[in-house]
Amino acid sequence: MEIKISARQMLKILYVLSWIIFIGVCIEAGSFVFNAFFTLVINPVNASYFNLSGLYAYDPGHFAVMLLLMWIVTVLKACMFYLIVKILEDKKLDLAQPFNKATGRFISGISYLAVGTGLFSCWGIKYAAWLVKQGVQMPDAQQLRLGGADVWLFMGITLLVIAQIFKRGIELQTENELTI
Amino acid sequence: MSLNELSEKVDITLSNLSILKTGKAKAVRFSTLEAICKALDCQPGDILEYRP
Repeated sequence: MEIKISARQMLKILYVLSWIIFIGVCIEAGSFVFNAFFTLVINPVNASYFNLSGLYAYDPGHFAVMLLLMWIVTVLKACMFYLIVKILEDKKLDLAQPFNKATGRFISGISYLAVGTGLFSCWGIKYAAWLVKQGVQMPDAQQLRLGGADVWLFMGITLLVIAQIFKRGIELQTENELTI
Repeated sequence: MSLNELSEKVDITLSNLSILKTGKAKAVRFSTLEAICKALDCQPGDILEYRP
C-alpha cells in the first residue's frame, strides 16, 4: 500500500512540530533566567542545576557570563522557531507562487539567526574551554546547550546563499506576474 | 467595448487588463498582443506607442 504525503500535509506537521519546539525553547530560555536569578540572588546551591557549581564557586561573574551566553543561544533559537511558526500561521508560504518578499525576508531572517546561534555557541564553547584551562570543572557542550556550533554556522551560511538566489527568483516572479 | 467584453474575447483576466490599462505591465507576450489586435481588429502600432 503506497502512502503519499502531500506538501500541505507536510507543512501542517511542520507547523505543529515548530510550535512544540518553540514552546520548549521558550521554557528553556525562561528557566535560564529564573535559575540565574535564583542562584545569584537567593540560593547559590541552585548552580548545580546546570552542573555549574564549580564555576559559581570559582567566580559568580564568570557564572553569569556563561549563563548569559547560553541564554542568548536559546533566545536566538526561539526567534528562529517564532519566525517559522509565524510564516506558517500567516499562510504566506504560497506554493503556487513561492518567490515573494515575505518568504525572502523569512529565509534571510532565519539565516542571520542561524549564523548568530553558531557564533554565540562557538564563543560559549571557547569560553568554557578557557575556564577548563583555569582549572574549573565544566560540563560538556551538550549539557551547556551549546552543541552543534559548526552545524548552525553551516546552515546559516547555506541559507544566506539560498537567500541571494531567492532574491533573483523574486525578481523573476514579479516580472512574470507583470507580463501579460 | 467594455473591459469585461475584451477580457472574454481575448481570454485575459480583468486584473491583467487592469495592469495593462494602468501602465504597470512590464512585458506583453506576442500571443497576447495578437489576441488583442484580433479582438480590436487593429495593428500593434495602433495600440503601442513609444514615449522617450
